[in-house]
Amino acid sequence: MPVAASAIYFLNLRGDVLINRTYRDDVGGNMVDAFRTHIMQTKELGNCPVRQIGGCSFVYMRISNVYIVIVVSSNANVACGFKFVVEAVALFKSYFGGAFDEDAIKNNFVLIYELLDEIMDFGYPQNLSPEILKLYITQEGVRSPFSSKPKDKPVPNATLQVTGAVGWRREGLSYKKNEVFLDIVESVNLLMSSKGNVLRCDVTGKVLMKCFLSGMPDLKLGLNDKLGLEKESEMKSRPAKSGKTIELDDVTFHQCVNLTRFNSEKTVSFVPPDGEFELMKYRITEGVNLPFRVLPTIKELGRTRMEVNVKVKSVFGAKMFALGVVVKIPVPKQTAKTNFQVTTGRAKYNPSIDCLDKKFPGQTESTLSAEIELISTMGEKKSWTRPPIQMEFQVPMFTASGLRVRFLKVWEKSGYNTVEWVRYITKAGSYEIRC
Amino acid sequence: MPPPAASSRYPSPSQPSGKSEVTDLKSQLRQLAGSRAPGVDDSKRDLFKKVISYMTIGIDVSSVFGEMVMCSATSDIVLKKMCYLYVGNYAKGNPDLSLLTINFLQRDCKDEDPMIRGLALRSLCSLRVPNLVEYLLGPLGSGLKDNNSYVRTIAVTGVLKLYHISASTCIDAEFPATLKSLMLHDSDAQVVANCLAALQEIWSLEASHSEEACREKESLLSKPLIYYFLNRIKEFNEWAQCLILELAVKYVPSDSNDIFDIMNLLEDRLQHANGAVVLATVKVFLQLTLSMTDVHQQVCAIVSVYERIKSPLLTLVSSGSPEQSYAILSHLHLLVVRAPFIFASDYKHFYCQYNEPSYVKKLKLEMLTAIANESNTYEIVTELCEYAANVDIEIARESIRAVGKIALQQYDVNAIVDRLLQFLEMEKDYVTAETLVLVKDLLRKHPQWSHDCISVVGGISSKNIQEPKAKAALIWMLGEYAQDMSDAPYILENLIENWEEEHSAEVRLHLLTAAMKCFFKRAPETQKALGIALAAGIADFHQDVHDRALFYYRVLQYDVHVAESVVSPPQQAVSAFADTQSSEIKDRIFDEFNSLSVIYQKPSYMFTDKEHRGPFEFSEELGSTSITPEVSSDIVPAQQFEANDKDLLLSTDEKDDNKGLSSNNCSAYTAPYESSNISSQMQELAISGPAASATTTQSSFDFDDLLGLGLSAAPAPTPSPPLLKLNPRASLDPRAFQQKWRQLPISLTQEYSVNPQGIAALTVPQSLIKHMQSHSIHCIASGGQSPNFKFFFFAQKEAEPSDYLTECIINSSSAKAQIKVKADDQSTSQAFATVFETALSKFGMP
Repeated sequence: MPVAASAIYFLNLRGDVLINRTYRDDVGGNMVDAFRTHIMQTKELGNCPVRQIGGCSFVYMRISNVYIVIVVSSNANVACGFKFVVEAVALFKSYFGGAFDEDAIKNNFVLIYELLDEIMDFGYPQNLSPEILKLYITQEGVRSPFSSKPKDKPVPNATLQVTGAVGWRREGLSYKKNEVFLDIVESVNLLMSSKGNVLRCDVTGKVLMKCFLSGMPDLKLGLNDKLGLEKESEMKSRPAKSGKTIELDDVTFHQCVNLTRFNSEKTVSFVPPDGEFELMKYRITEGVNLPFRVLPTIKELGRTRMEVNVKVKSVFGAKMFALGVVVKIPVPKQTAKTNFQVTTGRAKYNPSIDCLDKKFPGQTESTLSAEIELISTMGEKKSWTRPPIQMEFQVPMFTASGLRVRFLKVWEKSGYNTVEWVRYITKAGSYEIRC
Repeated sequence: MPPPAASSRYPSPSQPSGKSEVTDLKSQLRQLAGSRAPGVDDSKRDLFKKVISYMTIGIDVSSVFGEMVMCSATSDIVLKKMCYLYVGNYAKGNPDLSLLTINFLQRDCKDEDPMIRGLALRSLCSLRVPNLVEYLLGPLGSGLKDNNSYVRTIAVTGVLKLYHISASTCIDAEFPATLKSLMLHDSDAQVVANCLAALQEIWSLEASHSEEACREKESLLSKPLIYYFLNRIKEFNEWAQCLILELAVKYVPSDSNDIFDIMNLLEDRLQHANGAVVLATVKVFLQLTLSMTDVHQQVCAIVSVYERIKSPLLTLVSSGSPEQSYAILSHLHLLVVRAPFIFASDYKHFYCQYNEPSYVKKLKLEMLTAIANESNTYEIVTELCEYAANVDIEIARESIRAVGKIALQQYDVNAIVDRLLQFLEMEKDYVTAETLVLVKDLLRKHPQWSHDCISVVGGISSKNIQEPKAKAALIWMLGEYAQDMSDAPYILENLIENWEEEHSAEVRLHLLTAAMKCFFKRAPETQKALGIALAAGIADFHQDVHDRALFYYRVLQYDVHVAESVVSPPQQAVSAFADTQSSEIKDRIFDEFNSLSVIYQKPSYMFTDKEHRGPFEFSEELGSTSITPEVSSDIVPAQQFEANDKDLLLSTDEKDDNKGLSSNNCSAYTAPYESSNISSQMQELAISGPAASATTTQSSFDFDDLLGLGLSAAPAPTPSPPLLKLNPRASLDPRAFQQKWRQLPISLTQEYSVNPQGIAALTVPQSLIKHMQSHSIHCIASGGQSPNFKFFFFAQKEAEPSDYLTECIINSSSAKAQIKVKADDQSTSQAFATVFETALSKFGMP
């Protein structure tokens, strides 16, 4: 059995119960206490997200200031358990609109109970898709006190939808203006050694879509990835156009994508859900264009003085801009005084030296030079363990992988016109430079 | 309306445990109960919310049960839901009052709104009051036939709930049969999925006492049914897909075409966005390749499967929350231990990020250690050395240990030794401590590096080392390499003079041994120190220290040369360190891929079973190598479920009792492996010299080894029992064997060495089977591949029908055989073991 969860708890950081839903009788009522005394009040807390106490296993996650705990008494499927929590939180968020935290739970606890009832029955996960659940669990489930009989709501339809052939889309949608928004969002992960060697570098990307389309449209997406282009040139029996082709290491798709067709024709075709969803995720390790180069030099001059010099260079096209660039340069704890100059933007000291640049054009260079005075500590021989320099940024209209949308076709039997919007953005994932 | 601040849970003068609020609520509810005024639903809602929020934070609001039921006559669906939730929570404790709810729930089950029908049915089934089950049957029966799929999905789970309340009622009403036909014919995927889940649970639990349920359970794994599910897997939602994949894992494919068909059907599941689906698919693939019969084909398939699953798994590691990566990494670690080559070129994926939680970092370190090979060692070790300076001390230690482990695995240790020695120069206490332990292990395996290491180690001041393990390691090196370290005797003397301040017995034991070793090499300088050490040791309050000191003293008295050959025999390099887990356990964990077993790194019986552990475990083991797979696949898991279930019930009761106590039941686990583990540890110690604390626990057999006297086990301490005569034509059918194996306790566990000729002859299991047969010991099942072979033997006494059952695991690389004997007549099991050993020792001899 994938997860026969016996109970699910939501606790705040102090260990107070916010939600407590028991699905099976095979765990005692004092499981929350066990969790509190054996996990929350010990050092174990950050150590391992799966713990066994007595005959039960606790699978828990912290999300903002809430712990979500699943209790299982059998040999359950952990990956499934975590995924369930993640999906459930996504569902709650789509109901509360945004934040998921202690206050949101307290304000919506009746709704959460309702949802917990629907998404899991006797410990088995049921339907977690917000699209479907929103059809029959609404906060406006309130019927006005004067109409006592249910007749206004066609609920049976909703429940039929749960498992129809296209479970993720309702029939009979209609929009005045048919629009599709497609965002390619990439995050670059980098680990660079102090000598400037790239130790590890990869890109995880997402294709996010927002569809406002009438009827049951069929969409087809073409990217400049290697597989797709090769297949295409093979089918048209002419050599592929020269130009950059991207090799995707791994792709996963939203359930709406017709995988059989992807495997045979290498095109992404799908009937989209209504509204926002994540169409695909991919990972790339080869040929990543790093948007920023960082060259740090740190000199420790004796025991009380340090000199730091960090050069940041943007290596994307000169016409593009990076936004919200932050370079966090770590300094020792016993820092007494810092003196720094930056060539562009500004910098401030708050445990680390943060350089901020609201707008950072391509092909430019910015330098920070700082002098740091340290409090001399007696006897402490411990040398400073230098944490890495970390960067944050967003570069619109740039993809670190070079991935581009070649076409996005919408086809619907009524033949309406659609407007397609495509955007690209590259963000820093964990962008670390050792120094 | 938010729940009140949770601090109200604790009694305080102003809020005496919420009692007054509850009374308030009670009277307010009572007022509203009969009211039909407009807006009354809204005020009811507020009150209900209050009740539910009290319930959530643990205030007992069961006293308003009656009022809640009275208020439940409403058409407001939100009110109804809150009421259902309340009733579900307290019905069990108030069986009499629950009767009140039956009426309105039954009425709601006939409502025209399918939503309300479903909800009412769900609540009705969640009451969990045994004497109300008769009221369930009607609504459940009509729920299963409801024309709305929402109601049907709920009814199906309802049947499972009913089964858990009263199994006999559920079976008598023939609900399982109805579920089966629904599963095969219903048009709704969720109904089908719930049927599958319910039937799996019901039949697994029934199988232990009903032949029919056994057959039904097996029929779930029949080819048509599996294909029925797999062909339409895309219609199911992600969670149901996990369920189906989990079922497919248990399916035994008929031939290789079957295997490839399934793989083709499922290949696109690896691209599913839900990690749980991907992992379940990976499991199916792995199990399918294991079931291939053609060895060559199997090897090809395994390689290509690993190649195929690699990318999706790596993606899962880097996407999602740290908790999810943790779960995935645990699985990767399991895979990598079996096939280190798969991730060898992807080692960079396992570099730690600065902000990752330590549990993820730890697993990544383990991964890096496991995948290190000739081509990537340099990069991996360089990376690990970066972590040694990490802020998180625990991770720094782990990474040093990882470097050490890699050094022990690799042949080209030159560069690594240099790195380790650099650690010693970092002058951080914990780094030095960890490194010393590693250098010691390294020297035991590669004595040729002693020269480089000793010169550096000699420069370390023993004063800076506090941790017992590190101190013991340093002392061991001082003793072992006394001739190369000019001031070794003086350092030892210093340490011995501070005998009283040394708190760790381990260190004191090592001091004794090191003083002895040093004495044999540099007698004049050490004599005084040794004298002090022996005197202090004999006066020591710790039993082991006392015993060892006395033993050294006496053996010195007897003959110094004998003493030298005992305490300081010529150095022998340790070829391999004992693995902490037997390969058998690892296989078991692998079979339970995608479950908690992988996270805990132990098979499920270790953390779910308590009582049924012994017999059940053996039947399982037998099943895994049995020649009759159909037996193993149905009976054995059935027992497992039964065992689990009883255990669950037990465990809750127990926990109620020892609330607050740290009740990690696992610690009470006494595996039959334990004995073998100890003995294998003993051997490791025996070869290496610094044998320490285990001296008290070993048998005389191990003791001989420990002392390195080179005596064989011939002068056995017990008088040899009368020779046993075995029946050369004994017979036992596999089923009977299996049953016996399950019932009998182990009467004997032993480990023998197999002579090299025997190992050479053991290219295929059949050779040993023939050989043993000539000694009237018959094989009933065998399995395994080099280096681990496993056999189940049986033998019968010549005169009477008394059986001996033996499990024998032979590891051809370590040339060890481990046997477990179970006998009808336990008094003669020692005699049988002797016969068995004699027979085994002749194996391979011309």
